[in-house]
Amino acid sequence: MIGKGIHIEGLKKRYGSGETAVDALKNVDMQVAPGEVVGLIGPSGSGKSTLLKALGAVIEPTGGRMTLGGKVIYDNGWKVKDLRALRRDKIGFMFQAPYLIPFLDVTDNVALLPMLAGIPNAEARKRAVDLFKALDVEPRAKAMPSQLSGGEQQRVAIARGLINRPPVILADEPTAPLDSERALAVIRILNDMARQYQTAIIIVTHDEKILPTFKRIYHIRDGVTYEEAGEGREF
Amino acid sequence: MISLAGRDIMHAWGKFVFTGVGLGLLIGVTLSMAGIYRGMVDDGKALLDNSGADLWVVQQNTLGPYAEPSSIYDDAWRGIRAMPGVAQTANVTYLTMQVRQGERDVRSMVTGVTAGEPGTPGWPPYLVAGRQITRSHYEAVADIATGFKLGDRLQIRRNHYTVVGLTRRMVSSGGDPMVFIPLKDAQEAQFLKDNDAILQQRRRTTANPNFNRPQVPGLLEAIIASQSTNAYVNAVLVQVEAGHDAEEVAQSIRRWKRLTVYTRSQMEEILVGKLIATAAKQIFMFLVILSVVSSAIVAFIIYTLTLGKIREIAVLKLIGTKNRTIVALIMQQSIALGVIGFVVGKITATLLMEPIFPKYVLLEPLDSVIGFGAVVVICILSSIIAIRAALKVDPAVAIGG
Amino acid sequence: MKSFPIQKRTLAILVVLLPLLALFIYVALRSGPLAPVPVTVTRVENRSIAPALFGIGTVEARYSYKIGPTFAGRVKQLAVQVGDQVKAGQVLGKMDPVDLDQRIRAQEAALKRAEAQISEARARHLYAQTQARRYAELLAVRSTSEEILAGKNNELQVAEAGLNAVLEEAVRIHAEREALIAQRKNLSLIAPVDGLVVLRNAEPGTTLVAGQAVVELIDPQSLWVNVRFDQIHARGLSARLTAQIVLRTQAAELSGRVLRVEPLADAVTEEMLAKVTFDKIPEPLPAIGELAEVTVVLPTLAAAPVIPNAAIQRIDGQLGVWQITDGDLSFTPITLGDADLEGQVQVRKGLEIGDLVVVYSAKGLTPHNEIDVVDQIPGVPR
Repeated sequence: MIGKGIHIEGLKKRYGSGETAVDALKNVDMQVAPGEVVGLIGPSGSGKSTLLKALGAVIEPTGGRMTLGGKVIYDNGWKVKDLRALRRDKIGFMFQAPYLIPFLDVTDNVALLPMLAGIPNAEARKRAVDLFKALDVEPRAKAMPSQLSGGEQQRVAIARGLINRPPVILADEPTAPLDSERALAVIRILNDMARQYQTAIIIVTHDEKILPTFKRIYHIRDGVTYEEAGEGREF
Repeated sequence: MISLAGRDIMHAWGKFVFTGVGLGLLIGVTLSMAGIYRGMVDDGKALLDNSGADLWVVQQNTLGPYAEPSSIYDDAWRGIRAMPGVAQTANVTYLTMQVRQGERDVRSMVTGVTAGEPGTPGWPPYLVAGRQITRSHYEAVADIATGFKLGDRLQIRRNHYTVVGLTRRMVSSGGDPMVFIPLKDAQEAQFLKDNDAILQQRRRTTANPNFNRPQVPGLLEAIIASQSTNAYVNAVLVQVEAGHDAEEVAQSIRRWKRLTVYTRSQMEEILVGKLIATAAKQIFMFLVILSVVSSAIVAFIIYTLTLGKIREIAVLKLIGTKNRTIVALIMQQSIALGVIGFVVGKITATLLMEPIFPKYVLLEPLDSVIGFGAVVVICILSSIIAIRAALKVDPAVAIGG
Repeated sequence: MKSFPIQKRTLAILVVLLPLLALFIYVALRSGPLAPVPVTVTRVENRSIAPALFGIGTVEARYSYKIGPTFAGRVKQLAVQVGDQVKAGQVLGKMDPVDLDQRIRAQEAALKRAEAQISEARARHLYAQTQARRYAELLAVRSTSEEILAGKNNELQVAEAGLNAVLEEAVRIHAEREALIAQRKNLSLIAPVDGLVVLRNAEPGTTLVAGQAVVELIDPQSLWVNVRFDQIHARGLSARLTAQIVLRTQAAELSGRVLRVEPLADAVTEEMLAKVTFDKIPEPLPAIGELAEVTVVLPTLAAAPVIPNAAIQRIDGQLGVWQITDGDLSFTPITLGDADLEGQVQVRKGLEIGDLVVVYSAKGLTPHNEIDVVDQIPGVPR
């Protein structure tokens, strides 16, 4: 059965060909339900980055099947033509650093995504401000990114990830630069948001501080994923 | 949708304006170069316009009086005046020389104008101060580019002249300011070199026994007197009667007077086509080089600006920005830079460069429009490298590796 | 507080960009060919002008005397130097007489010989007369033949002719002697008038041909200026007009008068010639050949519309001025009258008193030009 959220079966990625070929992803299986937050951990060189890029539709896998929000996007080949629109509408991104656009103010940084999707400016900004209320950064809505603290920036980044109501959010080490209190705060927000917007969230991390918060964790080693139960500790 | 380029420019506007001003100075130089070229052409045309002539009658088979020396008898005008279709004739002499005033001397083209009333061919067509020449000797009208003032005493060869009027834009084809003096004085100036030369010549004549014969008292004096007159002028300026074709009148003068005659268009061809041709090419090459340099600089600036935004571009791509939007971002910035540069360039060219150049700089509005177009095109072309770099950015970069 | 940076930035942008833009617009519209042309204007005035003619001349002496020997000879002595004042009759120098005295003495000897010849011829004549009378008486008494009497009469005639011949010869020799004496006297070079020595051509010992001047004298009272007026600027030139003379060496203006206008004009230089005399011969005496600028003042004309000559332009072969009527620029053809040397010209036709005309303009005008009336054309040095 194919539900919403993320479904990945037997995803493969091979770089190069012939003798020098490297199999970055050999067999990846992942299922994340809407509203669920899972962790993805693995040592460097394990294929973690490659998996994230494949999930983010910025590199093309070489085999397997991928479903996002109930839609097959990859089945031994892209099933979607406009990958940009796919990323815009279906996937929210969060990075280790907030990577806000420095020349746009906080609102426009977030409102840019709906604008790109063709939503009128005023409407897009309204959505962004609504989101800021939930994330408690509304007072800084008119500030420039450089005027925000690290935590505020990260929350704006979360808002950006959420603004288009994507079925999936990919977060790459979102808590790495934060102290444990702030890191936990970010995780709490992500959990709240996942529940509220029924979004599947994958957090790539090796941050010991937040590992205990996951109910489920995927390990990846040598291009193969293994699922294990997390502590699912409340915070 | 908001303008990403606009936001980026507003965000870093100081840097942007500074870069634009730098570029603007370069564009200013480029515009000035075009202005110098136009100025050279205009100098040539101004010379022809100011002479007020339709035809130039010069020595046979010469390109005179501007491009080559020419001399014809100063009474040749009488025969020409009698030709059908000739409304007015005037003798004229041109001599480029140093005109002294007190301690300094100024390179100028001394023009001998025939006696008459204002409006006679060869006379300055308009003044900016003072009055036209009224005495038939020792008065001068000078171009303000000489720096002379009303009432200044000039020395041209052996005589002193009082500046009674000032003109503007009266220049030779080489851009030297003109000084108008009465024709008879000018003939003398052209012929009588200086007192020493006259003395030497007198001595040589006296030493020649053929000329200095005691049996014939008065012969030596007569010969010396005949040696110190100059019955030549450089050209006769002709105004054609209304209703007559200049070329036809020129033909009949050529045929019957056996003198070379140029019409306005032929004269322009000589001045613009021959006299300043190499200089104009030189300037044109400079223009081309400056354009190339400008575009290289624009390309470099835009490329650097783009490289500084690689991560932002990657993020933009990752969050689904279309290539078109990113291209527009870069190109708009490039064009904005060009526009700021053009504005600054136009201002500097007009307010700073034009006044400091010793020669005339003519900034034509049409040139500015073309220049603006060229700047925009150059900016668009220059942004191509940056656009290519931006399009090559992998959105994966944003996902840390 | 938090919105302050935006405001500050906006302010800064305004402060920098707006002036830049304003400057650009100013530059685009107010400079170059689109800009209005600065002009100065004046009204046509009703005033009288005094036309004047301007000519260049050289100081010359009306009377100059070239004094030299009347025959070829050698200068013996010369008593005067250039610059000396001499009186009429003063001996200026002497020519060497060479053989003149000897020739006079020879003539005197010849005269004496002629006197002897005269006495001889007289004696012969007397004898022939006596003989002729005697034979005439003898013939009356028929004691001689008619043939002999005729012979005697003939002898008398011959003697008479011989006497006449020697008498005339004596006169000739006398006259020749007189001539030599006159020449002897002429060896002195004598001043014909009171004057100033301006030239001393030869030194003692120099041999001269007849007619060559040794000394040149001028009469300083007869100095005048030979003035040349360009024919086109000589209208109204006539005798008895007052003139101002400025000599090259003397700053002061001298007054003078036109003595006459030469009936012969110079066809080659297209000039009229006139002689202008000084009212009072200047002291020190001007050098002969010195350059003089002469301004001849013509009678003042009745008041008429007058414009400065700088306003006059020729467009399409027509003389005219740029007139401003109700702020519009138009070219008005005019007919010019007399002009004075200060650049004021009468307008015969085309303009009314009080009309506004353009005098100076920063560049050539066309009817489409925008104009900007100023007090002084920018860039003109004061």
